[in-house]
Amino acid sequence: MSTDTSPQTPAELNDIEARNPELVGLGTYQYGWADPDAAGETARRGLSEDVVRDISARKSEPEWMLRMRLKALKMFGRKPMPDWGSDLSEIDFENIKYFVKSTEKQATSWDELPADIKNTYDRLGIPEAEKQRLVAGVAAQYESEVVYHQINEELERQGVIFLDTDSGLREHPELFQEYFGSVIPPGDNKFAALNTAVWSGGSFIYVPPGVHVEIPLQAYFRINTENMGQFERTLIIADEGSYVHYVEGCTAPIYKSDSLHSAVVEIVVKKNARVRYTTIQNWSNNVYNLVTKRATAAEGATMEWIDGNIGSKVTMKYPAIFLMGEHAKGETLSIAFAGEGQHQDAGAKMVHAAPHTSSSIISKSVARGGGRSSYRGLVQVLEGAGHSASTVRCDALLVDSISRSDTYPYVDVREDDVSMGHEATVSKVSEDQLFYLMSRGMAEDEAMAMIVRGFIEPIARELPMEYALELNRLIELQMEGAVG
Amino acid sequence: MADTSNSTTTSIPTDEALGLDGLDAGREDLALDLPGGAPATLTAPLSGASVPDGGSPVGSAPAQHGLNAHSHGAGVPATNRAERRTSFDVADFPVPSGREEDWRFTPIERARDLFEPAGASVSGLRVEVSTADGVTHRRGSSDASAGKGFVPGDRAAAVAWADAASAGAVDVVDIAAEADLAEPVLVRVASDAPRSAGHLVVRAGAYSRATVVLDHSGSGHVGSGVEAVVGEGAHLVVVSVHQWEDDAVHLAQHDLLVGRDATVKHVVVTLGGSLVRVGSTVRYAGPGGDATLLGVYFSDAGQHLEHRSFVDHEAANCRSNVTYKGALQGETARAVWVGDVLIRASALGTDTYELNRNLVLTDGARADSVPNLEIETGEIVGAGHASATGRFDDEQLFYLQSRGIPEDQARRMVVRAFFADVLQQIGVRSITDQLMAAIEAELELADGSGDEGDLPVVADGVEAELAGARL
Repeated sequence: MSTDTSPQTPAELNDIEARNPELVGLGTYQYGWADPDAAGETARRGLSEDVVRDISARKSEPEWMLRMRLKALKMFGRKPMPDWGSDLSEIDFENIKYFVKSTEKQATSWDELPADIKNTYDRLGIPEAEKQRLVAGVAAQYESEVVYHQINEELERQGVIFLDTDSGLREHPELFQEYFGSVIPPGDNKFAALNTAVWSGGSFIYVPPGVHVEIPLQAYFRINTENMGQFERTLIIADEGSYVHYVEGCTAPIYKSDSLHSAVVEIVVKKNARVRYTTIQNWSNNVYNLVTKRATAAEGATMEWIDGNIGSKVTMKYPAIFLMGEHAKGETLSIAFAGEGQHQDAGAKMVHAAPHTSSSIISKSVARGGGRSSYRGLVQVLEGAGHSASTVRCDALLVDSISRSDTYPYVDVREDDVSMGHEATVSKVSEDQLFYLMSRGMAEDEAMAMIVRGFIEPIARELPMEYALELNRLIELQMEGAVG
Repeated sequence: MADTSNSTTTSIPTDEALGLDGLDAGREDLALDLPGGAPATLTAPLSGASVPDGGSPVGSAPAQHGLNAHSHGAGVPATNRAERRTSFDVADFPVPSGREEDWRFTPIERARDLFEPAGASVSGLRVEVSTADGVTHRRGSSDASAGKGFVPGDRAAAVAWADAASAGAVDVVDIAAEADLAEPVLVRVASDAPRSAGHLVVRAGAYSRATVVLDHSGSGHVGSGVEAVVGEGAHLVVVSVHQWEDDAVHLAQHDLLVGRDATVKHVVVTLGGSLVRVGSTVRYAGPGGDATLLGVYFSDAGQHLEHRSFVDHEAANCRSNVTYKGALQGETARAVWVGDVLIRASALGTDTYELNRNLVLTDGARADSVPNLEIETGEIVGAGHASATGRFDDEQLFYLQSRGIPEDQARRMVVRAFFADVLQQIGVRSITDQLMAAIEAELELADGSGDEGDLPVVADGVEAELAGARL
């Protein structure tokens, strides 16, 4: 967050905290502390075939996975950096630690974790959420590997598999051979290639036919080491007629130099199944967040991405849905908040590959303090995908005069019998609204935060309750110092 | 090329089967085959925004700008639309391959010759100007006033600029300061050579009021440039009508420089031609300028009509409003609209809106609509865009038929209503009438029936009602 540098006096800060007790202690980026870093200090920097072989050997992976990693490493070397979007020229791939092992074995109960890691997750509120049974299963990834894992017994009985991806590969090799890399091939793009070469951790979920997972499965990702690259790999398979909601959150400490988070998320939504995937990304302001997320939706299936981008230095993320079967449905709700020094280049991609498919994209972005938020999207209707319908709505809110907002909605229609709509608005917080709220006794910054919350409300209400609260808090934080 | 590539990984028919190049698994070998290897192989990076462009071995990036011409180090993206290269020198632009963001929709094989200067073999466009008091016209191979409000933005425009000079086809139409012209200035532009070029400068003096109508006809391959330099407080309407023969190819760039407190209305009407591509750029020389860009197009079988506009808001308190509407009918009829708006940090008080609507009348036609908006300041009055592509609305049709109107007439009414508001905005009576007649003719062509006679009286009211209806 930018609050560590935004000009505000302690008096102002106290004032805000007095009015909002839940914000006490949130004056700076809340998750910015760093634990002692013995594992990170000894980790190797730089990328080479040896590093990849080493990662694979430590995990005792099957030969085919090693081969895929090595092939992806070659592709990574060959592929050029993106020449669009954000400026990525400052990423130093040679300075990154590609694999950091933080604990010897995975814990199944919270108390088994080393004290510093346990502390971290306590401060993030993970066991709390689990205790309250708001979430059905919890995975926590610290550095490269998942350190804590728990799944509700009831779900286990129904045959739901919720593991970290490393264990998933060990225990369910047949599913991995079938699906791993099938939605996002290793050579899809430079960062997907990188992830495929050095991936570690992430979540693996399989939901059997007809099983409805009523409460969300949750994962939390944390980077602790400086110059760390986190490359988690998530694979979700929702079998016919099933339903699952997966929620992930991310944080990192504040260091002087940058870290890289480059995840790959593959989701297979089978016939009549429904998957909802919620992310509230709150990386610290020195993380490059370059993520490839894609889902395929079969006949009658529904895929929903709810994507909140609050933190990071640079985010380039465009969750995609390939609508492969008739009457498949895709929906993306995206919120981006770009504060000082941040570029949120976020959006969505919808590919209509079958007739009677429908998609909708709703994007809300806020920029302040010189930050830049971009909506970049693609809606593509392939030949044969007649009678498809798509709507895209992008709203941007600028709260000052130095921030930037862009809208790049690509549309590519190769079929004639479709209906497409796109609409975008960019507005400034209106003096009238502010005046009205202030005339009711609100301070200007409070009023401003309320307007921003109102602006993103249509998306916030789709979040699980604790995440909606979290989002509101983050917005409040982002808006501190926005006035005056 | 792409068709020969193998997908190494499994399952979903993503890449080759779908022709999606964002997913270029197994294509690393192809990438190596490309000359020079590096920056030319723009694989689409992160999944979301890769823009598949059917059949090319490498995905084209969805960037608006491509590499910054003055990039510091490789791979630094240009930060806004204005950084895209402009130059009078043909050599500054590589020959388009069709994969560039700027050319990815265009069937460039139809226009290959327009990417190389023709030297002595090029003919000048024939230009006749109806002069009146306060209007002067001169023609030559160069003119001191040319290039003041114009700079080529792509290779075709740079070639046209060079060709117009070799052919002695630089025309300048001057409208005297404070002149108030009652009648439109008619500029007849004709091509009857296989290859022709021209450059037209329209200079509207301060506080003048004028309408200039460019009427393009003939055939052949044409590259042309138009620049309108609108003086302080002037009011200029430029209408460019393209009614080419079926085999004509025309690549044009229109640049408008809007003076302080000036008002300009730029209308592009595109009906005929095999490939017509018109790029319009608006810049403001001072605060208070007001630009309205209007477009009407009707694409038939085999036609590719492409319109691109770029409004560069740099001065404060300027307005822009872009409305393009088009109908498509027939196999392989294509229409492309790309509308870029940039509001720079200095452009406080900007008010802008862009709208594109496409009405697809028959199977097999395709419209692409891409509005892009970049905003570098929050101190604006408003900014937005909307685009929609839709089928002929069966409900509207049903409603009209239920009122006793036969289907073919009902169809025409819906099309008329679709175009009604943009035609109204053009405000030049002779053009509006001509256009309405042309649209009628297109529709008759489609349903093969002759004139149906006058519409019933009820039509007017219903038409008005439909005009307000959402497409």
